[in-house]
Order: sequence, then structure tokens, then C-alpha cells
Amino acid sequence: MKRRVVITGIGSVTPLGLSLEETWRGLLAGRSGIGPIRLFDASTFPTTFAAQVPDFDLAPYVKDAAAYAKAGRNVRFAMAAARQAFDDARLDPSDGDPARFGIYVGSGEGILDFDNLVASIAHGIQADGRVAIAPFAEFGLKSYDGLRELEQEPNMPANHLAAEYGLAGPTYSCLTACAASTQALGEAMDLVRHGRADRMLAGGTHSMIHPLGVTGFNLLTAISTGPKDEPWRASRPFDSDRGGFVLGEGSTMMILEDLDSARARGARILAELTGFGTSADAYRMTDIHPEGRGPAAAMRMALDDAGVRPDEIDYISAHGTGTEENDKVETLAVKLVFGEAAPRVPMSSVKSMLGHLIAAAGATELATCVLAIRDQILPPTINLDAPDPVCDLDYVPNRARKAEVAVCMNNSFGFGGQNDSLVVRRFIP
Amino acid sequence: MDRRIVITGLGALTPAGIGADALADAVRQGRSAVRTPARFDASGYPSRVAGEAPEFDLAAGVRKDQTRYLRKNAKVMARDIQMAVAASNQAIVDSGLPIGDEKAKEPPLPTIDRTRIGMVFGTNFIPTELEDLATPIRAASRDGGFSLKGWGSHGIAQMFPLWLLKYLPNMHTCHTGILWDAQGPSNSLTTSDAGGLLALDETVRILRRGAADWMLAGGAESRVNPLLLIRYSLLGRLATANDDPARASRPFDLGRTGQVAAEGAVVFFLERRDVAHQRGARVYGEVLGTGASTTTAGINACDADGRATANAVRAALADAGLQPRDLGAVLAHGAAYEPQDRSEAAGLAAALGEAAGSVPVTATKGVTGNMGAASGLADLAVLMCLKAAEVPPILNCDRPDPAVKLNLVRGKPQPLTKDVVLATTLAIGGQAAAAVIRINR
Repeated sequence: MKRRVVITGIGSVTPLGLSLEETWRGLLAGRSGIGPIRLFDASTFPTTFAAQVPDFDLAPYVKDAAAYAKAGRNVRFAMAAARQAFDDARLDPSDGDPARFGIYVGSGEGILDFDNLVASIAHGIQADGRVAIAPFAEFGLKSYDGLRELEQEPNMPANHLAAEYGLAGPTYSCLTACAASTQALGEAMDLVRHGRADRMLAGGTHSMIHPLGVTGFNLLTAISTGPKDEPWRASRPFDSDRGGFVLGEGSTMMILEDLDSARARGARILAELTGFGTSADAYRMTDIHPEGRGPAAAMRMALDDAGVRPDEIDYISAHGTGTEENDKVETLAVKLVFGEAAPRVPMSSVKSMLGHLIAAAGATELATCVLAIRDQILPPTINLDAPDPVCDLDYVPNRARKAEVAVCMNNSFGFGGQNDSLVVRRFIP
Repeated sequence: MDRRIVITGLGALTPAGIGADALADAVRQGRSAVRTPARFDASGYPSRVAGEAPEFDLAAGVRKDQTRYLRKNAKVMARDIQMAVAASNQAIVDSGLPIGDEKAKEPPLPTIDRTRIGMVFGTNFIPTELEDLATPIRAASRDGGFSLKGWGSHGIAQMFPLWLLKYLPNMHTCHTGILWDAQGPSNSLTTSDAGGLLALDETVRILRRGAADWMLAGGAESRVNPLLLIRYSLLGRLATANDDPARASRPFDLGRTGQVAAEGAVVFFLERRDVAHQRGARVYGEVLGTGASTTTAGINACDADGRATANAVRAALADAGLQPRDLGAVLAHGAAYEPQDRSEAAGLAAALGEAAGSVPVTATKGVTGNMGAASGLADLAVLMCLKAAEVPPILNCDRPDPAVKLNLVRGKPQPLTKDVVLATTLAIGGQAAAAVIRINR
């Protein structure tokens, strides 16, 4: 017997604010979180802007901030988001059997120690361009910090969360690129559904706003390079002038509970998670399948899993990155799955305002679906001035819109072709 | 629909050689695969012993069209990814499914619905190869010292355009998926040493919930890497017994000096039992149950009481509907790093209860070193490939740690009196995983 899985708490740290509510207000106002990169000197990089989380003090969110001195931004964001999720759920993390409370985080790397990496490699570079390992190692062993190195591993957010809250249930971290936190929430739902855990702390956290992150995406020409003087206009999903995504960063963490245990503690239920689909494009390393077969398969599986028809979906939170290819193919895939209903289903991309939170994108976008259900309003796609003719669906252009919203779909499609969709709905007892 | 899940294909690339049989043979013979690293000069490191995988043909055993893809794309696959792809190919071919006739223009795996075949791999963040950054660093430093300004203006342009994709931890699944046109569920877990068994755990759940009919569960990681050797040396985790590599990896032994960094990939092909029976597949074993938990002691620590391991084992036994006394053997992580060994042993003793004194406990890392995410699956593969019903001894466990209150198999094999075995893995500061399988002999 499948158990019902409900969301009872959400916490977020995003470029638009240090809480979900602040983020939501920004999104409904159509505000962009994008500005010049201030985390490092990117002035000569092809891309000079990103959507960065405001500076904050971690101390109010954790027992001992000193334990996070060497942590990356991914860990700091996750700790702040998780604390807020527990508060939002009015849940004491030590309540219940810790072995029944698991963790699933879609998370990226901590911040690479780029200065020391460069210095150690420079130390070993030979005249022929090869790197001699002995001098590299000698320099590295002196200059690197072991714990700081460890903090780069992508399971560090999960490990810190387990230590901070004493949670000892099934614990995972995944990195399916841009789809990671949607996948994390989907698999976390499965763990609760089938009785492997009663509660899960699940979501995503990531920052790729570091020199090698921006370098990597610039090399792939995946991120937008302008307009540099008006960076808030650079993220333009579905617009004919779009030129790639804009890097964002942040975290959203949610408390998922089995309905019975949520009821037993008198929890306020924000929404019910009812469908999950996962698929692979299996097409090309750098291109999406032109007919959108992977995204379509993930959406279909999520709809089937939720037991809803396409025309019952009131809103789609699009992957909507603002790359030429994604927006075209996602539109096509939605048409494939939704058929005649496609033009009637509003679908917006909050990446137009938040940038692309990569591994944290899906969870953050699912959170906006939950608030859309709560407030009966849809966040817009901003900068949609001249829609691409091949993007001819309703993307909720430029202004938030009042709507009747009961059932939403959230899409995330990862670089490398992993696709995930979730269906979330208003809780009906 | 049958909810019972069986293993019908094995692929492995380990320090002991190519294929799961090579690993099983080395373990049975107590033949260490640990050496002084040969792929790069490790003389500058405090730990100069490693379990390196042999040179291998990335395209062994696959179709010509797949060979072309692999030859073309090898340069965008870091070593971890290449190992994963090679082991996946082995597992699929080993499953006995027809791989299609290229001349007849059949797709790979023509007899199966490709939206119903998926994969979950345990991987880790892959450090860059140093030479990929060397020329860009020089270019960025041409006006004197290195600066980010110089990197932006002159360095980036010297980088290999697909550099980022060469190292992404989801590229194991991406390339394997493309190669076999596998369009089903796909995930990449980054849970360090626990990655392989957690991949098995998730794979089984995906098959049980009916989201796929065929799945690969894999783990692949290379710890024999110039950057990782610095990281794990600074954390004091690595073995320093450099003079006698074959004796350097000493699970549960008092003379252990730490983990031996190793590399490998192990992949299982899994399907529902009814599907396997219908197609007359050879069955290596059945996954009876899986379990997972986590360390709560901190990111660089292990629970002294071993609760992470204990929780995972209890969950796996509960999932299998079995008691500790039903186990014929335990295949421990046994990474040979003292806090990790002791935590794991304490957890096993707690979870096994009265059976702790009798169930034979072995570990294979004395032979291979620590292959990270390939752990666990590697141990299960060994037991599924051994011809004799016996539990092989732990290599180099000469003076067992008295803190370990388990029936460690030492010196010579113990009989495997029941065909049900438990494997456990434990990441330092992180996840614990356990799986119970029934070996089909």
C-alpha cells in the first residue's frame, strides 16, 4: 500500500532573499536577482554577472557556526534553508525515531580552493606543458587545507545536515546536474511512500558562482554573456532574444512526511506530493533530443504516478533555462504530453528572476508551486518581450497572474539528459 | 507483477583485473593487487601504495557503432567515467540480452522497451586532470603572476571547450545511456564509499515500484588521483606502509595504517524475477533487501557506537524479512582506517546481536584497497562468482583488532553454510548502506 506524502515545511535561501516568503514577494513583483558577480573578480570573464544570495550570518541557523568555518556556500545555504524548513513545519528534529527520518539532497560541489589549485599546478608545470606530480604534491600538501578540501565533496550538505540534526534515516545525495533536487524530492517521496522512512528532509543546494564554474559554462556557451550593463535583462526564457541561462545559487529544503504521522502531530499541511517521473534522453552529451522524448517521458510518468490527466494541471513550473535549445524543446515536449490542453496550461520560468540554481533549481521551483497553490497566483516569466515564434505557449509573461491553482507540475532537465518531473497538489483530506 | 529482483549480469574493472571473475580469483587466492602507483609519480606523497585498475579497452565487447562513439568521446570522459562505461558494457553483454545486429540496423538491445531500461550509479565529484589547467594557467600568468583578470582574458580561451562535461558525476549514466539507448529512470548518487550499495538500494526500489523493467546499478570511482591523494593524505586517512604494498591494506588488523587508495567500477544488471525467468536468463543472485542510514558524528568522523552501520543493517534485514541468524556471511566495508573499521565493527556487532559471534565476516579491501563507490557491489560480485560455497579470508588481517567482536575470517576460508549474504559500506562522516542478497549457485 502506498502511503500519502505531504509537504509540511519549506525553507529557502535564494538570490531574491533569505527566506521563501521574501523570495516569493520578489517573484510576484517580477524582480530580478541578477547583478554583477561580487564573489570573485569576473571582470574579464565572458560572463560578468550572476544571481547571488545576499551575504548572511550562519550563526542564527546552526548550533555552532564554527563547525562550518570551512564549508562551501552550498553547505551554508542548505543549513539556513533546513533550519527554516523545520521552523516552518513547527517540527522538533529530535521528535520521533531518528532512524526513520532521512535526508535526500540534490547538491553540487563545495567551493574549489582555486588559488591553491592554481598555485600548486603552476609549481609543477614543466617546459613542455606537462605537470610534474612530485613538486605539485609537495606544494599541495603544504598549502591545501584537508577539511576545506573535504568540504568540496558533494555529499557534504547531507553529512552536515545529519550531524546538525541527528537524523539517521536513509540518506542520499545526488548530482544529476540541473535536475538533481527534483530527483531528490521524487526519490524522497518514494522512500516515504513505501515505508522506508516516515519523514525526509529533502531538497537541493548549489553554487557554481566560482571561477571554474563560470569558466566551464562559458566554454560550453551555455550561459548568457549580456547585456553586461543591464544584467537583469540577461535571463530571458522563451524570448526570441534569449542567449543562455544566468547562473544563480541557493538552496531550498523541504520536510516531507507520511500523511498519518503528519496528522498525528497536528501538522499544518502545505501540499501533497503525488507524482514523480524520471527518464533519460540517451541522445547526445551536449544536445537535448530534438523531439523532447526524455522530458516528455518524465512528464508522462509523473502524471501517471499522480493519477491525473494533463488537462487537470493548472500550472507548470518550467525548466525554462533561457537557452535556445531548452526552451524550444521543452515547449515541444509539453505539447506532446498535454496535447490540446497545452495552450491552456500556464507555464512560467522563475529562472528569469532567480537565475539557474542548478542542483537547487528544482526544489526552489517546486516551492513556488506550493505557494502558487496557497496564494492562487502564478509567478511570471520576466523579460519576455518578444516571444520566440517556436515558443507559443502561455508563459505568464512579465506579470504575476491570479489563477485557480490546485495541481502543479514542476520540470527539471539536467545537462547530460536526466529529466525529472513532479506533481504537487492542494491537500484534500 | 513479481516484486522480487534478481541480478542477471555483472561487470567489473578492478585492481585485480578486468571482469568480476578476476576479482573473485584474486580474493580467493589472497593475491594483493596493491602496488606502487604506476600511472603517475607518487614519490611526493606520504602514501605511495595504491590499487590501480589495469589498462583496459573502453570498447571491449560492444558493437562497431558503439565502438565509434566511444573512440570519439573517450577524450571527454574522465577515468571514473571510462571505468563505469566499460563495466556497464560488460554487465549488459553478460546479461545475455541480444545486443542487436548492427548490420541489420537493429538498435542496441532490440528486444526491450528502451524507456523501461534505466540506471543508478554511485559516483563522486571528479577532480580535474592537472594538465587540463596547465596551459590556461600559463596563459593567465603571462603578465607576471597568475591573476583572475588574466584567467578571464587569456586563460579561459585555452581550456578544452568540453572541460566541464569531462568531469560531471552524471556523465557515467549519460554516456552509458546514449550507448545503449537506455531512456528509463536515471540517477547519479554522490555518497562516497556508500555510493554503489545505495545505487543498488535505489535501483531495487525503482524496479519494485514498476518504473522500469531493467536497471543497471553501479559504482565507479578512482581515488588514485593526484588531487585526491593530497586531500585524503591531509585528512590522515591513507596507509603509509609503503615498503610492502601487498601488505599495506589491512582491514580490521592492529597493524593497519589507513586506507589504500584504489579505483574501480562494478556494475550489476537487474530485473524482476518473472522477466528473468521468462527470458531464461542466468541468475547470479536475488536482492532480498536493502537499507540505508548515515553517520551523525560529523563530516570527518565515524560514530563510535557504529549506529549508522547498525541502522542500515537492521533496515536491510527488515526489508528482506530476515533475522541475523539467517545470514551465511557478512561482507564488511573493512576500509582499514581505524575509526571507520571500529565504527563498522561495533555497528555490525550491535545489529547482528547473538549471531555476531558466529556469522563469518570478511572484507576484500586487503586485496584491492578502497575503490570508493565501487565498494560493496565488488564484495557481492566476489561471492556470486566464487565456485565453492565458502567465505574467503581477509587478506592481511594477521593480528585482529581486539575491539572487533566479530567472527573475522582469517587465514583460510570458512564454509558458507547459508546462501544469504549481507554487504555493508560506510562513508567516513557520511552514509551507510547495506544489502542482503541470496546467491544462486
